[in-house]
Amino acid sequence: MFDETTLNERIDVIARFGVGLNPCEPVKFRRPNGREVVVSEIGLRHPTVQGKRTIHVFDVTDGAADYRIEFDSEHLTWQLTRMGDRL
Amino acid sequence: MNLRESINDAEPMVMHIDLNSCFATVEQQARVRLRGRPLAVVNRLAGDAMVITASYEAKTHGVKTGMRISDAKRLCRGLVVTETDPPKYRYVYHKLLDIMNSYSASVSMKSIDEGVIDFKQAPGHLLSGRTLEQVGLEVKARLKAEVGGAMRCNVGIATNRFLAKTAAGLHKPDGLDVITADNLRKVYAGMKLTDLTGIAERNRERLESVGIMNPLQFLDTPAEVLHKMVFMSVNGDLWHQRLRGWEVDDVETQTKRIGRQFVLDGFTMSFDEILQRLHNLCESVGERLRAQGMSARGVYVGTRTFGMTGDKRRNYWHAQFVSQVPFFSNDTIYTLAKRLFMSAPPDIRDINVHVYLLSDGEDNQLSLFADEYVRSKAITGAVDEINYRYGERTIHAANTLPTNRIIKTKIPFGSTRYL
Repeated sequence: MFDETTLNERIDVIARFGVGLNPCEPVKFRRPNGREVVVSEIGLRHPTVQGKRTIHVFDVTDGAADYRIEFDSEHLTWQLTRMGDRL
Repeated sequence: MNLRESINDAEPMVMHIDLNSCFATVEQQARVRLRGRPLAVVNRLAGDAMVITASYEAKTHGVKTGMRISDAKRLCRGLVVTETDPPKYRYVYHKLLDIMNSYSASVSMKSIDEGVIDFKQAPGHLLSGRTLEQVGLEVKARLKAEVGGAMRCNVGIATNRFLAKTAAGLHKPDGLDVITADNLRKVYAGMKLTDLTGIAERNRERLESVGIMNPLQFLDTPAEVLHKMVFMSVNGDLWHQRLRGWEVDDVETQTKRIGRQFVLDGFTMSFDEILQRLHNLCESVGERLRAQGMSARGVYVGTRTFGMTGDKRRNYWHAQFVSQVPFFSNDTIYTLAKRLFMSAPPDIRDINVHVYLLSDGEDNQLSLFADEYVRSKAITGAVDEINYRYGERTIHAANTLPTNRIIKTKIPFGSTRYL
Protein backbone atom coordinates (compact mmCIF):
# COMPACT_ATOMS: atom_id res chain seq x y z
CA MET A 1 0.00 0.00 0.00
CA PHE A 2 1.17 3.55 -0.28
CA ASP A 3 0.58 6.77 1.51
CA GLU A 4 -2.38 8.69 0.22
CA THR A 5 -4.81 10.98 2.05
CA THR A 6 -8.48 11.28 1.20
CA LEU A 7 -9.74 14.86 1.52
CA ASN A 8 -12.93 16.79 0.99
CA GLU A 9 -11.85 20.43 0.66
CA ARG A 10 -13.54 23.16 -1.34
CA ILE A 11 -10.77 25.00 -3.17
CA ASP A 12 -10.28 28.18 -5.19
CA VAL A 13 -8.94 27.37 -8.62
CA ILE A 14 -7.49 29.32 -11.50
CA ALA A 15 -8.02 27.36 -14.69
CA ARG A 16 -7.29 28.05 -18.33
CA PHE A 17 -10.08 27.38 -20.81
CA GLY A 18 -9.03 27.17 -24.41
CA VAL A 19 -9.20 25.15 -27.59
CA GLY A 20 -7.47 21.90 -28.44
CA LEU A 21 -7.31 18.47 -26.87
CA ASN A 22 -7.36 19.80 -23.30
CA PRO A 23 -9.86 22.66 -23.25
CA CYS A 24 -9.78 23.06 -19.45
CA GLU A 25 -6.50 23.11 -17.54
CA PRO A 26 -6.27 23.98 -13.85
CA VAL A 27 -3.24 26.24 -13.38
CA LYS A 28 -3.16 26.66 -9.62
CA PHE A 29 -5.40 26.26 -6.60
CA ARG A 30 -5.63 27.50 -3.02
CA ARG A 31 -6.57 25.22 -0.15
CA PRO A 32 -8.68 26.33 2.84
CA ASN A 33 -5.48 26.51 4.92
CA GLY A 34 -4.24 29.22 2.55
CA ARG A 35 -1.57 27.08 0.89
CA GLU A 36 -1.26 27.63 -2.86
CA VAL A 37 -0.40 24.78 -5.20
CA VAL A 38 0.89 25.53 -8.68
CA VAL A 39 0.10 22.73 -11.12
CA SER A 40 3.17 21.66 -13.05
CA GLU A 41 1.58 18.72 -14.90
CA ILE A 42 -1.86 17.29 -15.48
CA GLY A 43 -1.49 13.53 -15.43
CA LEU A 44 -4.98 12.66 -16.62
CA ARG A 45 -8.38 14.26 -16.88
CA HIS A 46 -11.34 11.95 -16.94
CA PRO A 47 -15.06 12.37 -16.42
CA THR A 48 -17.14 10.45 -13.92
CA VAL A 49 -20.88 10.54 -13.54
CA GLN A 50 -22.99 10.69 -10.43
CA GLY A 51 -26.43 10.11 -11.86
CA LYS A 52 -26.82 12.81 -14.48
CA ARG A 53 -24.12 15.02 -12.92
CA THR A 54 -20.74 14.99 -14.60
CA ILE A 55 -17.68 15.43 -12.42
CA HIS A 56 -14.38 16.08 -14.22
CA VAL A 57 -11.51 14.52 -12.31
CA PHE A 58 -8.03 15.97 -12.73
CA ASP A 59 -5.01 14.08 -11.44
CA VAL A 60 -2.33 16.76 -11.16
CA THR A 61 1.06 17.32 -9.60
CA ASP A 62 3.04 20.32 -8.41
CA GLY A 63 6.27 18.36 -8.65
CA ALA A 64 6.36 17.59 -4.94
CA ALA A 65 3.04 15.82 -4.44
CA ASP A 66 0.17 14.44 -6.49
CA TYR A 67 -3.38 15.76 -6.06
CA ARG A 68 -6.80 14.81 -7.29
CA ILE A 69 -9.08 17.78 -7.85
CA GLU A 70 -12.65 17.48 -9.12
CA PHE A 71 -14.79 19.95 -11.02
CA ASP A 72 -18.54 19.57 -10.60
CA SER A 73 -19.95 20.74 -13.92
CA GLU A 74 -23.44 21.22 -12.49
CA HIS A 75 -22.57 23.28 -9.44
CA LEU A 76 -19.37 24.78 -10.93
CA THR A 77 -17.40 23.94 -7.80
CA TRP A 78 -13.93 22.51 -7.27
CA GLN A 79 -12.95 19.99 -4.58
CA LEU A 80 -9.59 18.64 -3.53
CA THR A 81 -10.33 14.97 -2.86
CA ARG A 82 -6.98 13.21 -2.63
CA MET A 83 -3.34 13.97 -1.99
CA GLY A 84 -0.25 11.81 -2.01
CA ASP A 85 3.35 12.78 -1.31
CA ARG A 86 6.13 11.74 -3.63
CA LEU A 87 7.41 8.29 -2.79
CA MET B 1 -15.40 -25.79 -44.72
CA ASN B 2 -13.33 -24.71 -47.69
CA LEU B 3 -9.74 -25.21 -46.49
CA ARG B 4 -6.85 -23.36 -48.09
CA GLU B 5 -3.49 -25.10 -47.90
CA SER B 6 -1.35 -22.11 -48.80
CA ILE B 7 -0.21 -19.36 -46.47
CA ASN B 8 -2.17 -16.16 -47.00
CA ASP B 9 0.18 -13.87 -48.91
CA ALA B 10 -2.23 -10.95 -49.24
CA GLU B 11 -1.23 -7.50 -48.02
CA PRO B 12 -1.65 -7.38 -44.22
CA MET B 13 -4.69 -5.22 -43.49
CA VAL B 14 -5.63 -6.15 -39.92
CA MET B 15 -4.18 -4.12 -37.04
CA HIS B 16 -4.31 -5.27 -33.44
CA ILE B 17 -3.76 -2.62 -30.76
CA ASP B 18 -3.02 -3.63 -27.19
CA LEU B 19 -2.47 -1.20 -24.32
CA ASN B 20 0.58 -2.25 -22.33
CA SER B 21 -0.23 -3.28 -18.73
CA CYS B 22 -3.33 -1.17 -19.18
CA PHE B 23 -4.53 -0.37 -15.66
CA ALA B 24 -1.01 0.12 -14.29
CA THR B 25 -0.03 2.35 -17.20
CA VAL B 26 -3.16 4.47 -16.79
CA GLU B 27 -2.41 4.86 -13.06
CA GLN B 28 1.15 5.88 -13.87
CA GLN B 29 -0.14 8.34 -16.43
CA ALA B 30 -2.54 9.89 -13.91
CA ARG B 31 -0.29 9.89 -10.86
CA VAL B 32 3.06 11.23 -11.81
CA ARG B 33 4.79 9.95 -8.67
CA LEU B 34 4.03 6.36 -9.66
CA ARG B 35 5.95 6.57 -12.94
CA GLY B 36 9.02 4.41 -13.04
CA ARG B 37 7.89 2.59 -9.88
CA PRO B 38 6.94 -1.08 -9.61
CA LEU B 39 3.16 -0.93 -9.31
CA ALA B 40 0.48 -3.55 -8.80
CA VAL B 41 -3.20 -2.79 -9.30
CA VAL B 42 -5.68 -4.80 -7.24
CA ASN B 43 -9.46 -4.91 -7.01
CA ARG B 44 -9.50 -4.47 -3.25
CA LEU B 45 -6.82 -3.11 -0.96
CA ALA B 46 -8.03 -5.13 2.02
CA GLY B 47 -6.56 -8.56 2.63
CA ASP B 48 -4.22 -10.51 0.42
CA ALA B 49 -5.71 -9.46 -2.90
CA MET B 50 -4.77 -10.72 -6.33
CA VAL B 51 -2.76 -8.64 -8.79
CA ILE B 52 -4.99 -7.49 -11.65
CA THR B 53 -2.23 -5.72 -13.54
CA ALA B 54 1.44 -5.16 -12.87
CA SER B 55 3.50 -2.34 -14.34
CA TYR B 56 6.49 -3.26 -16.46
CA GLU B 57 8.78 -2.20 -13.60
CA ALA B 58 7.04 -4.79 -11.41
CA LYS B 59 7.06 -7.41 -14.17
CA THR B 60 10.84 -7.22 -14.40
CA HIS B 61 10.90 -8.47 -10.79
CA GLY B 62 8.66 -11.41 -11.69
CA VAL B 63 5.32 -9.95 -10.56
CA LYS B 64 2.52 -11.40 -12.66
CA THR B 65 -1.23 -11.04 -13.07
CA GLY B 66 -3.06 -13.41 -10.77
CA MET B 67 -0.34 -13.43 -8.12
CA ARG B 68 -1.17 -12.76 -4.46
CA ILE B 69 0.07 -9.42 -3.16
CA SER B 70 2.01 -11.13 -0.36
CA ASP B 71 3.88 -13.21 -2.98
CA ALA B 72 4.40 -10.18 -5.21
CA LYS B 73 5.90 -8.19 -2.36
CA ARG B 74 8.32 -10.98 -1.61
CA LEU B 75 9.55 -10.79 -5.20
CA CYS B 76 9.59 -7.03 -5.45
CA ARG B 77 10.57 -4.86 -2.50
CA GLY B 78 9.08 -1.39 -2.74
CA LEU B 79 6.09 -2.61 -4.74
CA VAL B 80 3.38 0.03 -4.70
CA VAL B 81 -0.15 -1.34 -4.52
CA THR B 82 -3.18 0.64 -5.58
CA GLU B 83 -6.86 -0.09 -6.07
CA THR B 84 -8.58 -0.14 -9.45
CA ASP B 85 -10.30 3.06 -10.56
CA PRO B 86 -12.75 1.94 -13.29
CA PRO B 87 -13.88 5.42 -14.52
CA LYS B 88 -10.28 6.16 -15.51
CA TYR B 89 -9.95 2.97 -17.52
CA ARG B 90 -13.32 3.50 -19.17
CA TYR B 91 -12.19 6.96 -20.23
CA VAL B 92 -8.97 5.64 -21.76
CA TYR B 93 -10.91 2.81 -23.43
CA HIS B 94 -13.22 5.34 -25.08
CA LYS B 95 -10.30 7.52 -26.17
CA LEU B 96 -8.63 4.51 -27.76
CA LEU B 97 -11.91 3.53 -29.40
CA ASP B 98 -12.31 7.08 -30.79
CA ILE B 99 -8.81 6.91 -32.27
CA MET B 100 -9.46 3.51 -33.82
CA ASN B 101 -12.88 4.51 -35.18
CA SER B 102 -11.28 7.42 -37.02
CA TYR B 103 -9.49 4.93 -39.29
CA SER B 104 -12.14 2.40 -40.25
CA ALA B 105 -15.79 1.52 -39.85
CA SER B 106 -14.72 -1.99 -38.95
CA VAL B 107 -13.39 -1.76 -35.39
CA SER B 108 -13.98 -4.36 -32.72
CA MET B 109 -12.83 -4.10 -29.13
CA LYS B 110 -11.81 -7.46 -27.70
CA SER B 111 -11.64 -6.22 -24.13
CA ILE B 112 -11.05 -2.99 -22.26
CA ASP B 113 -7.41 -2.81 -23.36
CA GLU B 114 -7.28 -4.28 -26.84
CA GLY B 115 -9.03 -3.96 -30.15
CA VAL B 116 -8.78 -4.65 -33.86
CA ILE B 117 -9.02 -2.36 -36.89
CA ASP B 118 -9.83 -4.04 -40.18
CA PHE B 119 -8.38 -1.73 -42.83
CA LYS B 120 -10.08 -3.63 -45.61
CA GLN B 121 -13.11 -1.52 -44.64
CA ALA B 122 -11.16 1.74 -44.37
CA PRO B 123 -11.71 4.56 -46.85
CA GLY B 124 -8.94 4.61 -49.46
CA HIS B 125 -7.82 8.18 -48.78
CA LEU B 126 -6.84 7.30 -45.20
CA LEU B 127 -4.04 5.10 -46.41
CA SER B 128 -3.09 7.06 -49.52
CA GLY B 129 0.61 6.56 -49.90
CA ARG B 130 1.06 5.30 -46.33
CA THR B 131 1.88 1.86 -45.05
CA LEU B 132 0.02 0.33 -42.14
CA GLU B 133 3.25 0.55 -40.14
CA GLN B 134 3.13 4.32 -40.53
CA VAL B 135 -0.50 4.32 -39.44
CA GLY B 136 0.48 2.18 -36.44
CA LEU B 137 3.12 4.72 -35.43
CA GLU B 138 0.50 7.45 -35.82
CA VAL B 139 -1.88 5.56 -33.49
CA LYS B 140 0.88 5.38 -30.88
CA ALA B 141 1.60 9.10 -31.22
CA ARG B 142 -2.09 9.99 -30.99
CA LEU B 143 -2.51 7.90 -27.84
CA LYS B 144 0.28 9.89 -26.21
CA ALA B 145 -1.09 13.22 -27.44
CA GLU B 146 -4.74 12.56 -26.65
CA VAL B 147 -4.40 10.65 -23.38
CA GLY B 148 -0.92 11.27 -22.04
CA GLY B 149 2.79 10.91 -22.66
CA ALA B 150 3.18 7.85 -20.42
CA MET B 151 0.72 5.81 -22.46
CA ARG B 152 2.16 3.02 -24.60
CA CYS B 153 0.62 0.41 -26.81
CA ASN B 154 1.68 -2.56 -28.86
CA VAL B 155 0.65 -2.69 -32.48
CA GLY B 156 0.52 -5.87 -34.55
CA ILE B 157 -0.28 -6.04 -38.25
CA ALA B 158 -1.10 -9.15 -40.26
CA THR B 159 -3.62 -10.72 -42.60
CA ASN B 160 -5.93 -12.03 -39.87
CA ARG B 161 -6.86 -11.27 -36.27
CA PHE B 162 -4.91 -14.17 -34.80
CA LEU B 163 -1.60 -13.24 -36.44
CA ALA B 164 -2.14 -9.52 -35.74
CA LYS B 165 -2.52 -10.30 -32.03
CA THR B 166 0.51 -12.55 -32.21
CA ALA B 167 2.49 -9.72 -33.82
CA ALA B 168 1.37 -7.29 -31.11
CA GLY B 169 2.86 -9.59 -28.49
CA LEU B 170 6.29 -9.98 -30.06
CA HIS B 171 8.00 -6.94 -28.58
CA LYS B 172 6.51 -5.60 -25.38
CA PRO B 173 6.22 -2.86 -24.34
CA ASP B 174 5.58 -0.36 -27.09
CA GLY B 175 6.32 -2.69 -30.01
CA LEU B 176 5.18 -2.61 -33.60
CA ASP B 177 5.49 -5.76 -35.67
CA VAL B 178 4.17 -7.06 -38.97
CA ILE B 179 3.68 -10.73 -39.79
CA THR B 180 3.53 -11.59 -43.47
CA ALA B 181 3.77 -14.76 -45.50
CA ASP B 182 7.50 -14.05 -45.77
CA ASN B 183 8.34 -14.00 -42.06
CA LEU B 184 5.58 -16.26 -40.71
CA ARG B 185 7.78 -19.34 -40.30
CA LYS B 186 10.54 -17.30 -38.68
CA VAL B 187 8.07 -15.89 -36.14
CA TYR B 188 6.70 -19.35 -35.31
CA ALA B 189 10.23 -20.71 -34.96
CA GLY B 190 10.83 -18.38 -32.02
CA MET B 191 7.68 -19.35 -30.14
CA LYS B 192 6.40 -22.11 -27.89
CA LEU B 193 2.98 -23.71 -28.37
CA THR B 194 1.60 -21.90 -25.32
CA ASP B 195 2.75 -18.57 -26.74
CA LEU B 196 -0.03 -18.92 -29.30
CA THR B 197 -3.27 -17.21 -28.28
CA GLY B 198 -5.81 -19.93 -27.57
CA ILE B 199 -3.28 -22.66 -26.79
CA ALA B 200 -3.14 -23.20 -23.05
CA GLU B 201 -2.14 -26.31 -21.14
CA ARG B 202 -4.97 -28.60 -22.26
CA ASN B 203 -4.54 -27.80 -25.94
CA ARG B 204 -0.77 -28.11 -25.58
CA GLU B 205 -1.23 -31.61 -24.16
CA ARG B 206 -3.57 -32.51 -27.03
CA LEU B 207 -1.04 -31.32 -29.59
CA GLU B 208 1.92 -32.97 -27.91
CA SER B 209 0.03 -36.26 -27.66
CA VAL B 210 0.26 -36.56 -31.46
CA GLY B 211 3.86 -35.33 -31.65
CA ILE B 212 3.23 -31.65 -32.37
CA MET B 213 5.78 -30.02 -30.10
CA ASN B 214 6.09 -26.48 -31.47
CA PRO B 215 4.22 -23.93 -33.63
CA LEU B 216 6.15 -24.81 -36.77
CA GLN B 217 5.10 -28.45 -36.50
CA PHE B 218 1.58 -27.23 -35.75
CA LEU B 219 1.67 -25.20 -38.97
CA ASP B 220 2.87 -28.17 -40.99
CA THR B 221 0.26 -30.59 -39.67
CA PRO B 222 -2.43 -31.50 -42.22
CA ALA B 223 -5.96 -30.26 -41.51
CA GLU B 224 -7.27 -33.81 -41.37
CA VAL B 225 -4.96 -34.69 -38.48
CA LEU B 226 -5.91 -31.53 -36.58
CA HIS B 227 -9.60 -32.22 -37.16
CA LYS B 228 -9.71 -35.96 -36.49
CA MET B 229 -6.87 -36.58 -34.05
CA VAL B 230 -6.18 -33.39 -32.13
CA PHE B 231 -9.28 -31.26 -31.70
CA MET B 232 -11.87 -33.87 -32.78
CA SER B 233 -14.00 -31.07 -34.21
CA VAL B 234 -14.16 -28.22 -36.68
CA ASN B 235 -11.73 -26.43 -34.36
CA GLY B 236 -8.98 -28.37 -36.09
CA ASP B 237 -9.96 -26.82 -39.43
CA LEU B 238 -10.15 -23.38 -37.86
CA TRP B 239 -6.63 -23.72 -36.42
CA HIS B 240 -5.34 -24.93 -39.78
CA GLN B 241 -6.65 -21.75 -41.43
CA ARG B 242 -5.84 -19.40 -38.57
CA LEU B 243 -2.17 -20.41 -38.45
CA ARG B 244 -1.87 -19.69 -42.21
CA GLY B 245 -3.22 -16.16 -41.90
CA TRP B 246 -6.75 -16.80 -43.18
CA GLU B 247 -9.47 -15.02 -41.26
CA VAL B 248 -11.72 -17.28 -39.20
CA ASP B 249 -12.22 -15.15 -36.10
CA ASP B 250 -14.25 -12.30 -37.56
CA VAL B 251 -17.42 -13.39 -35.81
CA GLU B 252 -19.93 -11.43 -33.77
CA THR B 253 -20.52 -12.85 -30.32
CA GLN B 254 -23.90 -12.74 -28.66
CA THR B 255 -24.56 -12.12 -25.01
CA LYS B 256 -25.65 -15.41 -23.51
CA ARG B 257 -25.14 -14.74 -19.82
CA ILE B 258 -25.07 -11.69 -17.59
CA GLY B 259 -23.55 -12.05 -14.16
CA ARG B 260 -21.37 -10.90 -11.29
CA GLN B 261 -18.83 -12.58 -9.08
CA PHE B 262 -17.57 -11.50 -5.69
CA VAL B 263 -14.82 -12.89 -3.46
CA LEU B 264 -16.11 -12.59 0.10
CA ASP B 265 -14.48 -9.90 2.20
CA GLY B 266 -14.23 -12.28 5.16
CA PHE B 267 -14.48 -15.99 5.67
CA THR B 268 -16.17 -16.06 9.06
CA MET B 269 -19.33 -14.14 8.24
CA SER B 270 -22.81 -15.37 9.00
CA PHE B 271 -25.12 -16.79 6.37
CA ASP B 272 -27.28 -13.64 6.59
CA GLU B 273 -24.27 -11.48 5.80
CA ILE B 274 -23.49 -13.67 2.80
CA LEU B 275 -27.11 -13.32 1.65
CA GLN B 276 -26.76 -9.52 1.83
CA ARG B 277 -23.87 -9.76 -0.59
CA LEU B 278 -25.80 -12.15 -2.82
CA HIS B 279 -28.69 -9.67 -2.85
CA ASN B 280 -26.38 -6.82 -3.84
CA LEU B 281 -24.98 -8.91 -6.70
CA CYS B 282 -28.51 -9.82 -7.86
CA GLU B 283 -29.43 -6.13 -7.98
CA SER B 284 -26.35 -5.43 -10.06
CA VAL B 285 -27.15 -8.33 -12.41
CA GLY B 286 -30.75 -7.09 -12.76
CA GLU B 287 -29.57 -3.58 -13.67
CA ARG B 288 -27.19 -4.95 -16.29
CA LEU B 289 -29.89 -7.20 -17.70
CA ARG B 290 -32.37 -4.34 -18.08
CA ALA B 291 -29.69 -1.98 -19.42
CA GLN B 292 -29.30 -4.47 -22.28
CA GLY B 293 -33.09 -4.42 -22.81
CA MET B 294 -33.33 -8.10 -21.97
CA SER B 295 -35.21 -10.58 -19.83
CA ALA B 296 -33.94 -13.95 -18.64
CA ARG B 297 -35.42 -17.32 -17.79
CA GLY B 298 -32.48 -18.99 -16.04
CA VAL B 299 -30.63 -18.22 -12.81
CA TYR B 300 -27.32 -19.79 -11.85
CA VAL B 301 -25.55 -19.45 -8.52
CA GLY B 302 -22.18 -20.94 -7.76
CA THR B 303 -19.54 -20.77 -5.07
CA ARG B 304 -16.03 -21.85 -4.46
CA THR B 305 -15.55 -23.18 -0.96
CA PHE B 306 -12.73 -24.27 1.24
CA GLY B 307 -12.94 -28.00 1.78
CA MET B 308 -14.55 -29.26 4.97
CA THR B 309 -11.17 -30.52 6.08
CA GLY B 310 -9.84 -26.97 6.03
CA ASP B 311 -7.01 -27.93 3.73
CA LYS B 312 -7.79 -24.99 1.42
CA ARG B 313 -8.41 -27.24 -1.53
CA ARG B 314 -11.05 -25.45 -3.46
CA ASN B 315 -14.37 -27.11 -3.97
CA TYR B 316 -17.00 -25.95 -6.38
CA TRP B 317 -20.73 -25.90 -5.92
CA HIS B 318 -23.41 -24.62 -8.22
CA ALA B 319 -27.16 -24.79 -8.78
CA GLN B 320 -29.46 -23.43 -11.45
CA PHE B 321 -33.14 -22.94 -12.13
CA VAL B 322 -35.10 -22.35 -15.32
CA SER B 323 -38.37 -20.47 -15.07
CA GLN B 324 -41.32 -20.94 -17.42
CA VAL B 325 -41.76 -17.21 -17.83
CA PRO B 326 -39.11 -14.53 -18.41
CA PHE B 327 -38.13 -12.28 -15.52
CA PHE B 328 -36.16 -9.06 -15.23
CA SER B 329 -36.67 -7.55 -11.76
CA ASN B 330 -34.02 -7.53 -9.02
CA ASP B 331 -36.56 -8.98 -6.64
CA THR B 332 -37.27 -12.04 -8.80
CA ILE B 333 -33.60 -12.68 -9.48
CA TYR B 334 -32.80 -12.52 -5.78
CA THR B 335 -35.78 -14.68 -4.77
CA LEU B 336 -34.74 -17.42 -7.20
CA ALA B 337 -31.03 -17.13 -6.40
CA LYS B 338 -31.66 -17.19 -2.66
CA ARG B 339 -33.82 -20.31 -2.97
CA LEU B 340 -30.96 -22.06 -4.80
CA PHE B 341 -28.38 -20.70 -2.41
CA MET B 342 -30.09 -22.22 0.63
CA SER B 343 -28.52 -25.56 -0.29
CA ALA B 344 -25.01 -24.13 -0.68
CA PRO B 345 -22.28 -25.80 1.37
CA PRO B 346 -20.52 -24.07 4.31
CA ASP B 347 -17.11 -22.34 4.13
CA ILE B 348 -18.06 -20.19 1.18
CA ARG B 349 -15.22 -18.29 -0.40
CA ASP B 350 -16.93 -16.45 -3.23
CA ILE B 351 -20.32 -15.97 -4.85
CA ASN B 352 -21.08 -16.19 -8.55
CA VAL B 353 -24.55 -15.32 -9.81
CA HIS B 354 -25.69 -14.96 -13.36
CA VAL B 355 -28.81 -15.11 -15.47
CA TYR B 356 -29.13 -16.89 -18.80
CA LEU B 357 -31.63 -17.94 -21.49
CA LEU B 358 -31.82 -14.27 -22.41
CA SER B 359 -34.46 -12.83 -24.68
CA ASP B 360 -35.67 -9.47 -25.85
CA GLY B 361 -37.14 -7.56 -22.91
CA GLU B 362 -40.58 -7.28 -24.51
CA ASP B 363 -42.78 -10.16 -23.43
CA ASN B 364 -45.43 -10.60 -26.09
CA GLN B 365 -47.10 -13.57 -24.45
CA LEU B 366 -48.42 -12.32 -21.15
CA SER B 367 -49.20 -14.98 -18.63
CA LEU B 368 -52.28 -15.26 -16.43
CA PHE B 369 -50.39 -13.04 -14.00
CA ALA B 370 -50.19 -10.15 -16.44
CA ASP B 371 -51.22 -7.58 -13.84
CA GLU B 372 -48.36 -8.61 -11.60
CA TYR B 373 -45.96 -8.43 -14.55
CA VAL B 374 -47.07 -4.94 -15.55
CA ARG B 375 -46.86 -3.71 -11.95
CA SER B 376 -43.39 -5.17 -11.49
CA LYS B 377 -42.25 -3.61 -14.75
CA ALA B 378 -43.57 -0.17 -13.72
CA ILE B 379 -41.90 -0.27 -10.29
CA THR B 380 -38.60 -1.57 -11.67
CA GLY B 381 -38.68 1.07 -14.40
CA ALA B 382 -39.27 3.84 -11.85
CA VAL B 383 -36.39 2.65 -9.65
CA ASP B 384 -34.07 2.41 -12.66
CA GLU B 385 -35.05 5.92 -13.70
CA ILE B 386 -34.19 7.32 -10.26
CA ASN B 387 -30.90 5.44 -10.14
CA TYR B 388 -30.03 6.67 -13.61
CA ARG B 389 -30.79 10.27 -12.67
CA TYR B 390 -29.20 10.40 -9.21
CA GLY B 391 -26.53 7.73 -9.42
CA GLU B 392 -26.37 3.96 -9.10
CA ARG B 393 -27.75 2.44 -5.92
CA THR B 394 -29.63 5.58 -4.90
CA ILE B 395 -32.51 3.16 -4.34
CA HIS B 396 -31.67 -0.39 -3.34
CA ALA B 397 -32.94 -3.14 -1.06
CA ALA B 398 -32.61 -2.18 2.60
CA ASN B 399 -30.73 -5.31 3.60
CA THR B 400 -27.94 -4.53 1.12
CA LEU B 401 -27.12 -1.23 2.86
CA PRO B 402 -24.07 -2.63 4.73
CA THR B 403 -22.63 -3.89 1.42
CA ASN B 404 -22.54 -0.56 -0.40
CA ARG B 405 -18.96 0.16 0.55
CA ILE B 406 -17.84 -3.44 0.10
CA ILE B 407 -19.13 -4.43 -3.33
CA LYS B 408 -18.07 -1.95 -5.96
CA THR B 409 -18.47 -2.07 -9.69
CA LYS B 410 -15.31 -3.48 -11.17
CA ILE B 411 -13.98 -3.66 -14.67
CA PRO B 412 -15.28 -6.75 -16.41
CA PHE B 413 -12.58 -8.65 -18.26
CA GLY B 414 -13.14 -10.09 -21.69
CA SER B 415 -16.23 -8.02 -22.33
CA THR B 416 -16.86 -4.45 -23.35
CA ARG B 417 -20.64 -4.63 -23.04
CA TYR B 418 -20.84 -2.49 -19.92
CA LEU B 419 -18.17 0.12 -20.73
